[in-house]
Amino acid sequence: MLSFILRRLGISAIVLLLASVLVYFLTTISGDPLAGMREQANDPKVAAQMQARIVALDLDTPWFIRYLKWLGGAAGCVWGQCNLGTDVNGNAVLDQLGSAAASTLRLVLLSVVIACIVGILVGVLTAIRQYSDFDYIVTFIAFVLFSLPVFWVAVLLKEYAAINYNNWIANPSFTPAQVVLTAIILGLIVMLFMGGSWKRRVLSFGVVAVVVGVAMPYFTWLRFWQYPQMGPAVIAVVVLAVGAFALQTTVGFKERRVWLPALISAALVMVVYYASWNLLSEPNWWILILGLVLAIAVPWLLGAWLGGRYRPQAIGAAASVTLTGAFLTIVDHLFVTWPGFMALKPRPISTIGSNTPNFTGNFWETFLDNGTQLLLPTVVLAVVSIASYSRYTRAAMIDVQGQDYMRTARSKGLPERTVILRHAFRNALIPIVTIVAMDFAAVIGGAVITEQVFGWKGMGELFQTGLKNVDPAPVMAFVLVTGGVAVLFNLLSDVIYALIDPRIRV
Amino acid sequence: MRLKRISLAVAAGAAAALALASCSPGGNNTPSSSGSVSGSASDSAAQAAQIDGSGKLDLKDIQTQDGEIKVSVGSTEFGGYNTLTPATYDTYSSAISALYTTGFFYFGTDGKVIPNETLGTAEVVSDSPLQVKYTINPDAVWSDGTPITVADAVLAWGSQNASLLGSDGKTPVFNNVSGDLVALAPKGPEGDVNGKEFTLTYKEPNLDWKLQTLMAQPAHVVAKQAGMSVDDLVSALREQDATKLAKAGAFWSTGWNKGAGQLPADDLNVSSGPYILDSWQKGQSVSLVPNPKYWGPKAGVSKLTFRFVDSGAMVQALQNKDLDVMSPQPTLDTIKQLEALGSAVKIIKGDTMTWEHVDFNFAGTSVFKDDADLRKAFAMCIPREQIVEQLIKPLNPDAKVLNSRVSFPGDDLYDRVVQEAYPASTYDSVNLEESKKLVDASSAAKTNGKVTVRIGYNSPNPRRANEVQLIKASCDQAGFDVKDISSETFSAEGGPVTKNDYDAFLFAWAGSGQLTSDSNIYMTGQPQNFGKYSNAEVDKQLTITKTTMDLTKHGDALVATEKQLWDDMFGIPIFQHPGIDAAGADVTNVIHTQTQDGITWNAEQWQRVAE
Repeated sequence: MLSFILRRLGISAIVLLLASVLVYFLTTISGDPLAGMREQANDPKVAAQMQARIVALDLDTPWFIRYLKWLGGAAGCVWGQCNLGTDVNGNAVLDQLGSAAASTLRLVLLSVVIACIVGILVGVLTAIRQYSDFDYIVTFIAFVLFSLPVFWVAVLLKEYAAINYNNWIANPSFTPAQVVLTAIILGLIVMLFMGGSWKRRVLSFGVVAVVVGVAMPYFTWLRFWQYPQMGPAVIAVVVLAVGAFALQTTVGFKERRVWLPALISAALVMVVYYASWNLLSEPNWWILILGLVLAIAVPWLLGAWLGGRYRPQAIGAAASVTLTGAFLTIVDHLFVTWPGFMALKPRPISTIGSNTPNFTGNFWETFLDNGTQLLLPTVVLAVVSIASYSRYTRAAMIDVQGQDYMRTARSKGLPERTVILRHAFRNALIPIVTIVAMDFAAVIGGAVITEQVFGWKGMGELFQTGLKNVDPAPVMAFVLVTGGVAVLFNLLSDVIYALIDPRIRV
Repeated sequence: MRLKRISLAVAAGAAAALALASCSPGGNNTPSSSGSVSGSASDSAAQAAQIDGSGKLDLKDIQTQDGEIKVSVGSTEFGGYNTLTPATYDTYSSAISALYTTGFFYFGTDGKVIPNETLGTAEVVSDSPLQVKYTINPDAVWSDGTPITVADAVLAWGSQNASLLGSDGKTPVFNNVSGDLVALAPKGPEGDVNGKEFTLTYKEPNLDWKLQTLMAQPAHVVAKQAGMSVDDLVSALREQDATKLAKAGAFWSTGWNKGAGQLPADDLNVSSGPYILDSWQKGQSVSLVPNPKYWGPKAGVSKLTFRFVDSGAMVQALQNKDLDVMSPQPTLDTIKQLEALGSAVKIIKGDTMTWEHVDFNFAGTSVFKDDADLRKAFAMCIPREQIVEQLIKPLNPDAKVLNSRVSFPGDDLYDRVVQEAYPASTYDSVNLEESKKLVDASSAAKTNGKVTVRIGYNSPNPRRANEVQLIKASCDQAGFDVKDISSETFSAEGGPVTKNDYDAFLFAWAGSGQLTSDSNIYMTGQPQNFGKYSNAEVDKQLTITKTTMDLTKHGDALVATEKQLWDDMFGIPIFQHPGIDAAGADVTNVIHTQTQDGITWNAEQWQRVAE
């Protein structure tokens, strides 16, 4: 394995080196670095600027010597003396790279996680219900999303999710027609999703349509959109429901060793909800991280202590309860903050920037500000990835389901859930891991358009500005990072292969 | 099992309903009033007059409003406090620095130079030698309370010397984008260091003396950072002593600009304008707040924020009120999007001082070399009216064909040039017949009876590609075979332009408002005379423009130059580039300017009004 990894690394290094030569050369011939100044009128100041630019870009030196200089500096990164050169304005590229990479990661990480979860989930569901109405509709939507140009999705989202939402939230209300239409559409969606017999379809349509039809005016009456509220009662009900679902899908309600830790966890959630109220009203990131650790550690201990031979199920049920509770507690705090946030930022969803300039608020208000700014670009990036992940997952799952060991597993009498999750899904994950790994590398570089449209200054902007100025240093920094990430994730996917698929372990 | 499931669902539903029913409507029932504009709005642009016809608005009683106006002029990052270094001298950074610096003159919306009496006055006391007496407003102070004095003028002057080199013998002590004032006026500002009056004596006559920078950075800050007294700094500057100035120069060049997002420390962040830098978020925005010590008219709003936004994202940002004023790339697409927003925005259109033209190559491999008739033939077939009609009018309905190289419509000189120098009957409209006659008579090499013309520009440039198509469609009928040889590196070092390996070059000059700039383009051997044009009469006349202090003589010489340029057919002007800006309907005093200053030229006067 080690020699395999080393060989892979060696080849990757050569590929990176060749790519860097090529990109450097292409960047230097991509345009005239002084074009912008040549057409400035004959101000003596412009001549000084041109001279400064010539010095900054070292234009009097042939490109390959400049490349070697750059390579020397970049090679220093190996022993911790990075020098990625300076851009046209004489700023060190390394400094810019740091903040650009942070900005892009913030943008990309969430969207990749969302896309993975949703895409794989949808893919598995469509594969299980192959050739159902649900499958056809998801396929249709996936292809529509897949073929949408990113900038266009971004413009549409800004129009509807930002501008129109902001206009609406100032005075939220629904016309009866909107309520009826939404109820029917959501009813239809759920009906198609649930599938089954005609009776079941009509029932699911009816229930959803009625609930939505009642909820929309009710929430408006509650002024929920401006003053969202949840309160402990809702949290208690949801937490119990999640616990019940966890029990029902594992060992049923009769097993004390499982329902007891789940119930204790639910009680703890409510206690912590009240006890931590003041602390969480003005928290910091450390408190939140500590909370997350506790929300995992406590149910784990409870399950381990009380679970006996049902230990894994007990831990699972208890953890799903506490994690739901923790999530809802945070949502409740955000709900409470929302009216104050709206007062600070009357148009909550902005179309540009990674945060509102000069925004001053408490922790949750700042959290909401960053969140609302992150929302649209994340959705844009996620939407396209979801489409492709769901297709790949579906194909992989269908492929696996035709295998002999699936028939063996079913004929052994294993429950369908075990067959799908253990035998089918795990094997189907192998090709998906490769795609996700490569996609992550691509998304870091591919956020160029999204960053530009939403006014984020990340890796894409670094690359684009560098290219526009015929300035190799930032372009090379971009190539170095995206190329490095691609190599790294390629390697990582190989390692994960070995973890998922015992056959590959050497 | 089935029954159990249903009963479970019912129970869950009931519990959820109960939980929800425990809620009651949120908030108080009277909708809160949306933030109203406090402070009195000043006169709107419609009421207030521009000083001297094209200067800033005359808003005498302007009061600062409590509120924020957000503007974007592009996605380029702010360079730093000191925007006079070559690395930070760009229109984007200057738009911001103009608000915390001051000067004795500024450009009006038509490019006229207008005195800024808030800072002080300047008057010519002698023409020969040119001697100007400056008087600084007695109330003028920096934002830290230090009076603005002659010392500051000495710093502004003394830092403009490209030949004052540091100890390495290569880099200038002051890394200033402008490096010639010390050579032009060697004695510098003469007057009491702590006083408010000084005289500047130029070696040569200089009609553009008003454009010299004589007020920029605070001398007391530089002196303190260099560890010397203001008096010592001033005498070192007057002596231009590189050793004594080494520390001051090093601070001047790098001390203020610490990289993106890094504002200078409070004692260095000193303003002499209506606003002062308040915050800078890397890659996102720069905010300014009113300078509390500003002695002139008050700043318009309590916070002015420049956001760095890509042109393509501006319209929706304006619509979502993320921006209040925007200055996008002028494209048809942007205009259409803005027009679709109706009365919510004000679209501000007009000409700019950047002008498009076709210039001929008089050297190298040019087919036009030594063939004035062929040049005239080509100029006659260029469909200038059609280009303006199809490509420019949709962006600026008032656009017209430009008929002068040395002045713009609106200048006093333009009408004279058009009447006395421009052969209107020959070039006003396309004349294919006459053009064809000249082509046929020409001795230029022909293939299939056609003269090949290689026309180029720096690509990609969709508008110029369209222009070349229109030119080709017209000129091919006159016996030319127009070839588009544009490339990304057309005018780059080693490209066709520097090798004089082309016939015609389509490009634009960005007019600077200088009176003496034409000599760099049309005189023999000048670096911006790309086509290597040479004419003794033009050289003579342009020398006059550089050496006279008499505006009439200057005008006469320019008219004579134009006449010669039209006779020789140096090249042909086509149009002024259109400018598009937009502002929310609730922002007032936003005015178009033709100059490179851009829409923010009077940003300190912007205010909000009720929609």
